[in-house]
Amino acid sequence: MALRALALAAFLAIGFALSLSVSEYSLRLLNLAAISATAVIGLNFAFGYAGLISLGHSAFMGLGAYILAILTTQAGWSPWLAALPAILGTGLAAILIGVPLLRLKGHYLALATLGLNVSFGIVAANWIEVTGGTNGISKIPGVSVLGHSLEGERPFLWLALVVIAVLAVAASLIQRSRYGRAMMAVRDDETAAAMTGINVTATKVAAFALSAVYAAVAGCLFAAHVHFISPDDFNFAHSITFLSMLIVGGEGTIAGAIIGAVLLTFLPEWLRVLGESYLAFFGLMMLAILIFMPTGIVGLLSRLRRPARSEAPAALVAPGEGARP
Amino acid sequence: MADLIQLLTNGLALGSVYALAAIGFVIVYSATGVVNFAAGQFVMVGTFAGVAMLLNAELPMPVGYTAALVVMALFGALFYLVVYLPLRRSPIVTVIIGTVAIGITLQNTALLTFGSWPFRLPSPFEGMMVEVAGAVISVHALAVVAATAVMILLLWLLLHRTAVGIAMRAVAQDVKAARLMGLRVQWLLAFSWILGAVLAGVAGLMLGPMWFADVNMGDPIALKAFAATVIGGFGSLPGAIAGGFFVGLAEVLGASYISSAYKDLIAFGVMILFLLVRPQGIFGEPIQDRG
Repeated sequence: MALRALALAAFLAIGFALSLSVSEYSLRLLNLAAISATAVIGLNFAFGYAGLISLGHSAFMGLGAYILAILTTQAGWSPWLAALPAILGTGLAAILIGVPLLRLKGHYLALATLGLNVSFGIVAANWIEVTGGTNGISKIPGVSVLGHSLEGERPFLWLALVVIAVLAVAASLIQRSRYGRAMMAVRDDETAAAMTGINVTATKVAAFALSAVYAAVAGCLFAAHVHFISPDDFNFAHSITFLSMLIVGGEGTIAGAIIGAVLLTFLPEWLRVLGESYLAFFGLMMLAILIFMPTGIVGLLSRLRRPARSEAPAALVAPGEGARP
Repeated sequence: MADLIQLLTNGLALGSVYALAAIGFVIVYSATGVVNFAAGQFVMVGTFAGVAMLLNAELPMPVGYTAALVVMALFGALFYLVVYLPLRRSPIVTVIIGTVAIGITLQNTALLTFGSWPFRLPSPFEGMMVEVAGAVISVHALAVVAATAVMILLLWLLLHRTAVGIAMRAVAQDVKAARLMGLRVQWLLAFSWILGAVLAGVAGLMLGPMWFADVNMGDPIALKAFAATVIGGFGSLPGAIAGGFFVGLAEVLGASYISSAYKDLIAFGVMILFLLVRPQGIFGEPIQDRG
């Protein structure tokens, strides 16, 4: 408990110190990383805890963003008020989709959610009366607190840090509750989980809906920060990026979700020194990370921290990794 | 009627390309259990191997096509060594992300080599048209359908009438048993990657004259090949063929009779419907729960 409080304090302190010291450009990247981190902490419920391979996460982020954008620009709602139906509506959509879809496993679920994400993009690009088509929706209002506008990169980062802190604490509490443990039990062995009285379907749908709720929060942050959304912002490539962030950071851990989001947001920028070929190198580096750090950065760190346990092979395996189909 | 004949021919030609891409994907999947998210980039590499040989090196067509397919075979072998071998014991998600990552590298390497300007890959039947019942049909489209039929026949003969093919099917059924029978499993797995890459290369060479050769063409093809694979039945070769033709026809007929904006929604909608109602597809996955 003390360790987690310390980690939270360190996260806020580092974030605040960075917000005061780095350039405007880095602040912009930090904000994008923070929005991704929000989505990836959510994806951790579905994939990290419950073992559901979702390649449609960015569609839920898009759904939240579009609901907020439509309510603020067309109905004139305040972003704070519009965020409620955006988040709840996205969670409800995830439940309705999850009930039939989550009977699928492994790569079947991956391809079904991928198809869902592609379909979302096609509808968003062509349902012009509602979504504005490929032109998207512009002039989405920003947020303000007690009359203070949070426009600009620095104040927005403070807001994002608070949102992440609250969501991370909530995720940590859920992870340690019976519901979080039920998700991990379902991930490790569905039959055994069902034998102990866990409702497997309800647990999977709950994890999926929670992940969608976090994605919707990320979508609302994105819409309010960038003031403009279009179907391309939520295409399936972003879903794959979110999953990559979680795996590179360390699946099943909240710290891993945040570290992965920050690292994969900044890595392409750091590689820009290589000139035009930087994205080609980025792909190769991703592959190298997957080959040489199979448990992600958090897995690597905990291995370094506990060298004495390295004799027991079980300690090297990330929770549940061996049992995943 | 003339319109319909024209649309059917174009749909079958496009479907042939998707079918070959899907077959390449399925051969790799059933042998190695890898869900190759770079499958669309394989087709893109095939098209650009054609661009390099026919447009840049200006080789005569038979030599150029052969050279492009040799490049694809080498590419498949390289992919086996660099991507498959290191990741072969990783969980399925890691393999998916790994193939996506290497797909990003392939796409950007092609962008650096060939630039973002699209190429027009020539066809041996450039500009030739025939008239059938009042419909004007390009000979290239007919040749694509015919060549695909020949490829499928050759593939069937390979898998059912040659020692290598029968050994490949044994590996696809049960790697352990195949190894115990003394088959050289690693060589057969490498050969599956090579065969998959060559089939993708054929698809790429056929597609080049139909679309423009564009470095971003990989993802749309991969998505269609996935839809074809799921609809036909994951891991089934007849399924990949049927699914490919279905997706091609749905795209062309849907665009002209239903809505050009929503044409792609048909393929993905049907794919999701199949996953919900009949996840084993039309022909069913012959092996359950592998990988």
